[in-house]
Amino acid sequence: MSKAIINAKIYTITQGVIDGGTILIKDGKIDNVGSNLNVPEGYEIIDANNMIVTPGIIDAHAHVEIWEEGIGWEGMDVNETTNPVTAGINALDAINPEGLGMKDALTGGVTTIWNAPGSANVIGGYGITMKTYGKVIDDMVMLNPSGLKAAFGENPKGAYGQRQNKMPMTRMGVAAVMREYLIKGQEYLAEIEKANGDASKMPKRDLDLEAIGKVLKREIPLKAHCHRHDDIMTIIRIAKEFDIDISIEHASQAHLIVEELAKHKVPLIVGPTVSTRSKAEVSEKSFTTAGICAEAGIPVSIMTDHPIIPVHHLHLAAAMCVKHGMKEEQALEAITINPARTCGVADRVGSIEVGKDADLAIWTRHPFDVFTQVKYTIIDGEIVYTLPQERVNEVDLC
Amino acid sequence: MLVIKNGKIITMANQVIENGIILVEDGKIKEIGQDLAIPSNAEVIDATGKYVFPGLIDAHTNIGLKEGVLRWEGADHVEQTEAVVPQMRPIDGVNPFDPELGDALATGVTTSLIAPGDVNVIGGIGSVFKLTGKTADIMFRRDVCVKAALGEKPKNIFGRKKMPSTRMGTAYLLRKALSDAKEYQNKLELGKEDKDKMPKRDLKLESLVKVLNQELPLHIHAHRADDIMTAIRICKEYDVKMVLVHAYEAYKVVDRLAENNIPVIFGPIWSCRWQVETANLQLDTPKVLADHNVSLALTTAHPDKPIFMLPTCASLAVREGLNPYAALEAITIGAARILGIDDIVGSLEVGKDADIVIADGHPLQIMSNVEKTIIEGKVVYSR
Repeated sequence: MSKAIINAKIYTITQGVIDGGTILIKDGKIDNVGSNLNVPEGYEIIDANNMIVTPGIIDAHAHVEIWEEGIGWEGMDVNETTNPVTAGINALDAINPEGLGMKDALTGGVTTIWNAPGSANVIGGYGITMKTYGKVIDDMVMLNPSGLKAAFGENPKGAYGQRQNKMPMTRMGVAAVMREYLIKGQEYLAEIEKANGDASKMPKRDLDLEAIGKVLKREIPLKAHCHRHDDIMTIIRIAKEFDIDISIEHASQAHLIVEELAKHKVPLIVGPTVSTRSKAEVSEKSFTTAGICAEAGIPVSIMTDHPIIPVHHLHLAAAMCVKHGMKEEQALEAITINPARTCGVADRVGSIEVGKDADLAIWTRHPFDVFTQVKYTIIDGEIVYTLPQERVNEVDLC
Repeated sequence: MLVIKNGKIITMANQVIENGIILVEDGKIKEIGQDLAIPSNAEVIDATGKYVFPGLIDAHTNIGLKEGVLRWEGADHVEQTEAVVPQMRPIDGVNPFDPELGDALATGVTTSLIAPGDVNVIGGIGSVFKLTGKTADIMFRRDVCVKAALGEKPKNIFGRKKMPSTRMGTAYLLRKALSDAKEYQNKLELGKEDKDKMPKRDLKLESLVKVLNQELPLHIHAHRADDIMTAIRICKEYDVKMVLVHAYEAYKVVDRLAENNIPVIFGPIWSCRWQVETANLQLDTPKVLADHNVSLALTTAHPDKPIFMLPTCASLAVREGLNPYAALEAITIGAARILGIDDIVGSLEVGKDADIVIADGHPLQIMSNVEKTIIEGKVVYSR
């Protein structure tokens, strides 16, 4: 049904803030947005007086219901730690759309996530961009694949060198495995090219090299887990050698090499900063990282890495960055349009613009106010979450 | 003498003093109120436009025991070699240079119960520490509990090789330890009359005798309602005091908690649900507990969730219906009462430790910045 959200303070993200604005929704898309719009007859009216509307929040890096909640190993599908290169596996095959985490996402206004395998493997597999509402994962997919997960630093070293006495045991080993497989991927693509359509000359289909081939052809980025500055520089070095697109996931020490990163304009997905210093590579983590890097002109997203930070608290994770100096606008971009871009879906989501999917969050207060509540979450023009009446709470601190 | 003037003081003793003055001498609060005379030689902190409130208390953490940055090298919070280790003492494992402690001070958290073990059926003594000092001995204040744990963790860690591998096994081990302590207690009594009958010192049982004497309560880790009821059952059988810790399913048996006067240290409320026993986390549980007059503290369970999120945990409880004052109590005086340290901390009152936080906004607003944290009259953090 067509809907009109009226009297709202609208954070469009790309086209400023509209006070007392209206959003018209038709066929699941944003049909119009502005301050003096007539609501056509027959539209369902959502009066957002004293409320704030933002685009649906986007979590640029999470493991929602791949690492399932409320059950033990039975629902733990995040790391296929049987081989340091599992490029051919896909997060799609492990996501439980009925899980607790997916429902939580809606309560925090999160409508899109980049859902990916974990960081134990040097090349971990495909991540997908998906919406957070649906019964069947295939119907929730926006872009599959939308990136190939890779990992540098302690996690692959720990999972293989420390625990299984096999490569990689060192950072050099991680880089060597990465290069080895990128070269295998190049060879695989060359063989396919050489076959020139002749089926008899085609190489045997290799799912892992096929995935790496997509990165080499720059169809999808390599999304590389790196906390430490030296690990970040290693993937930038490799990306230049192989002419591939990358994003830096976590980037806990990015602020230490901000000038270098500004030269390369590599997207950073920062977080999960609401955590302890749980290992050496996050010893320098800081809520200032996101703001410092955004200020240097680097595209910054903020992640939950759910379940490390609960996905529905993404707005508060961003608020913590604002508290430590990030500009409010930049922090909003970091959970809307910037992740939309790094997840390959900026043509559909991430801002309130005519023609985009009607994915919206309607808040009782600014999303960076700790007492804000999501009143409605809307995906493709449908209300998929409504704040239960008994939970409505006007906090007065006095 | 240190003086903090012109702040909006939330005393947590049922008073908000506008333009208030606090006089601090020898680490204690000497006077608090309006229009107090300020001695000319005093060091004065002008808190005009600021909020002033007591140092926050996290009622259940492993901070310093499970250190930041390090892995096994700094993991001294669970002695996983035996299921029952009441002889463990946090003072022997707390590292005063744990980098996470800096986060606590920068957030205004000045005091914490530091307890070992969430996998041992009995993990050891839990002690209250101030979160600053060069040595654990300087930080240490007093022993306040013996830590126990029910549910998934003990049977998961120990069950593959030895007891407990079931909830029944866990309950049995807890009962057995208390029974052994009872016998030891009797022998100690006999030993008082007849020196020859004095039993050999037993560090394990010494800890538990304090529980039987009701000098120390058991702080029992339990999430599921059935584990909570097991805890209550066993504590009644042995006539010991208990405090329930974590307690995600407390809402299911809130009437039983109220009826038996069992305080709850709830949390972390900011959490996913990694284990089966945590699947039923409900964000309005603090409100439900308060509505039933259950004594409440909130915890981050650091490093489960970082200690700097303690005020935000209270804010989330407020968002979900808990009265703001009750939420502040749960991280100050309420926590102090449950830990039995309200004689020294938890509120700004004459004679108590001068553990004071000065912030540029209300403590429950996420954007408020702590500007100064003071422990016993010394500024230990400045923004």
